[in-house]
Amino acid sequence: MDYNQTFAKEVYEKVDSGDEIKVCMQCGVCGATCPLRGEMKYGPRQIWSLIRAGRRDEVLNNPDIMLCTSCYTCQVRCPRGVPIMEVMHGLAHYALAQGIVPRAETAKFGKAFWEGIYDTGRVDEAVVPIKYCLQDGLVAGLKKSLGMMDIGLALMKAKRMKPKMFIPPNIFIPGVHKIKGVKQLQRMLDKAAAIDAAKEA
Amino acid sequence: MDYFLYYGCSLEGGGVHYMISTEAVAKALGINFHEIEDWNCCGASIAYIGGNEMQSIVLNARNLALAEAQGGYDIVAPCSSCYIMLNKVNRELQAHPKLMAQVNEILAEGGLKYSGQIRVRHILDLLYHDVGVEKIKAAVKKPLTGVKVAAYYGCQTTRPFGEYDSCENPHTQDDILAALGAEVVEFGHRVKCCGSGIFLTEIDKCAYLVKDIIESAAAGGAQIISTACPMCQMNLEIYQQRVNAITGANLNMPVVFVTQLMALAFGGDKDGAAALNRLVVPSGPALQAVGA
Ligand code: SF4
Ligand code: SF4
Repeated sequence: MDYNQTFAKEVYEKVDSGDEIKVCMQCGVCGATCPLRGEMKYGPRQIWSLIRAGRRDEVLNNPDIMLCTSCYTCQVRCPRGVPIMEVMHGLAHYALAQGIVPRAETAKFGKAFWEGIYDTGRVDEAVVPIKYCLQDGLVAGLKKSLGMMDIGLALMKAKRMKPKMFIPPNIFIPGVHKIKGVKQLQRMLDKAAAIDAAKEA
Repeated sequence: MDYFLYYGCSLEGGGVHYMISTEAVAKALGINFHEIEDWNCCGASIAYIGGNEMQSIVLNARNLALAEAQGGYDIVAPCSSCYIMLNKVNRELQAHPKLMAQVNEILAEGGLKYSGQIRVRHILDLLYHDVGVEKIKAAVKKPLTGVKVAAYYGCQTTRPFGEYDSCENPHTQDDILAALGAEVVEFGHRVKCCGSGIFLTEIDKCAYLVKDIIESAAAGGAQIISTACPMCQMNLEIYQQRVNAITGANLNMPVVFVTQLMALAFGGDKDGAAALNRLVVPSGPALQAVGA
């Protein structure tokens, strides 16, 4: 393999927790314990290898970096103490910030989730799925939400969901609960974003 | 015993039966829960998609600061994801004064300040270590004799810190269920991941995780699975039909919260305190031995 340090340096400096992979000894315990390794082309160990080899496009476009369930199995077993999960999330976040979308559905859901937090301070289970579905446009969004109707109805029957949850045209939901300090929270999040943006630039 | 109960977003919706049964259990055991006034979402394990690391830290630091200003009780999280997010940030802030100072500058935007005095606990930690198995046993009015249950821990209930129970071989939930009189079965997949926050959007892949967990519990002789996390309960329970369609499995396993079984054993009404009517997969024969 050809070694080119430019991309590795980029990862160490700009990706959240990226510099932690420096101590990896390539033992492979992470991949061997990952519940979704069978669904990945590369596990964490191989991704770190590709980073060291300077394969920027291959790493950032690799859907594996967004298939981490956050289960911490690898992390508690890594003999070198690499916070593997944080690095995987850091890489996914970094790719998304560059406009690359390693996994479309998870990216859309995560975006809707984050917007829910930013707009109201909490995640309203009545709003996030609607936002998630509507990112594909109204027609596709309707179709997607109809596909989830069985789950929605089952939850409604069990009185575990408000009826409006899977009704996409209901975009302007009145009375969505906002925390009292939502404005201050937004100011805090903006300030935090500015700090990390300076790092990523 | 005074604590903050950090409700988190799912206890108001899909995990409402967790909230109902937790409140009933607290009452029976003399636990006094307070709400953190104006708490915000912890970001869960999926905040990284829209937010960056510092934003995640700030979300959780705000809750810690609010708790500190409102009485400083330990924060108890029934959701494993909330527990890990709050706990992880708390530990980082306590260990790194420079980060704490930086975060406090940001919290000042809302007139808040955090000094690092709060402890974050999982509800299993509270039940096992503060209440204790003996006191739980003493509160049992209707023992769960003949109930064959699998204690499922999943991922973030004990990982990565292993503060109150072992990461690899936890026992707290097993011991609590045994104290209720239930028969706790052995099974291999007790700490395997269910797919967590990406389950729904990557269901073609995660369906096999759920299949393996439930089949492993069934092979151990379980008729019902007990969990201590709303994400586990949801992923294992409500998508079983879909998992069957994807994997060709034949799952039909009731999945409850450990607090629902506690409420039942403490003599609570099956559809009241134990909230069994909130299940998508009915408890059916699994709890017939105790008349529920
Ligand atoms: S387990 Fe740790 S040391 Fe081993 S390959 Fe993975 S990251 Fe590297
Ligand atoms: S934390 Fe992510 S990478 Fe590590 S074992 Fe779990 S799913 Fe795999």
